[in-house]
Amino acid sequence: MANDRKKERSNKRAELKRIPKPGACIFCKDDAQPIDYKETGMLRKYISDRGKIRARRVTGCCTQHQREIATAVKNAREMALLPYTATVR
Amino acid sequence: MSPEEVGDCMRRYEVMVILDPDLEERTVAPSLETFLNVVKQDGGQVDKVDIWGRRRMAYEINHKPEGIYAVLEVTSSPAAVAELDRQLNLNEAVIRTKVTRSAGT
Repeated sequence: MANDRKKERSNKRAELKRIPKPGACIFCKDDAQPIDYKETGMLRKYISDRGKIRARRVTGCCTQHQREIATAVKNAREMALLPYTATVR
Repeated sequence: MSPEEVGDCMRRYEVMVILDPDLEERTVAPSLETFLNVVKQDGGQVDKVDIWGRRRMAYEINHKPEGIYAVLEVTSSPAAVAELDRQLNLNEAVIRTKVTRSAGT
């Protein structure tokens, strides 16, 4: 039990450590496609297997594009293209 | 832009519609066509009608696991799109709609 908790904490720390380089936002490139809520395959990369939106420190996106991704995921959820929740496989 | 100006300007919209999966798929195109008459009569134009067909939804809506998806691209006045959206939602065969402004307009 205590061991589990310790493991969880170290996992979290590992995630926090994964800080992407500045300028790593893939949507800031000139040839990037605009973010569209219909492209579920692309958006799947930005949600966890639970269906939650990935944090910016994980995705490495800039403020503007992270916000666009979040809006796109929310739009896709409304149209049942992406799940609100999903059980872990 | 003032509200009066918005009233008659034309904009590009994208309307996504989820239809009841119990419908026959070949009746979808004609019925969407009748809905789009609102836009045409208002002087707008229909750029594209893309019927995705039957698709599994991420969660059940109205106890149905599937839906018939269609994406309509129109250039019209804001009022005509609002009316189109209203009429779609009144129809029982329509499960869900979403109107978005297309990028670049």
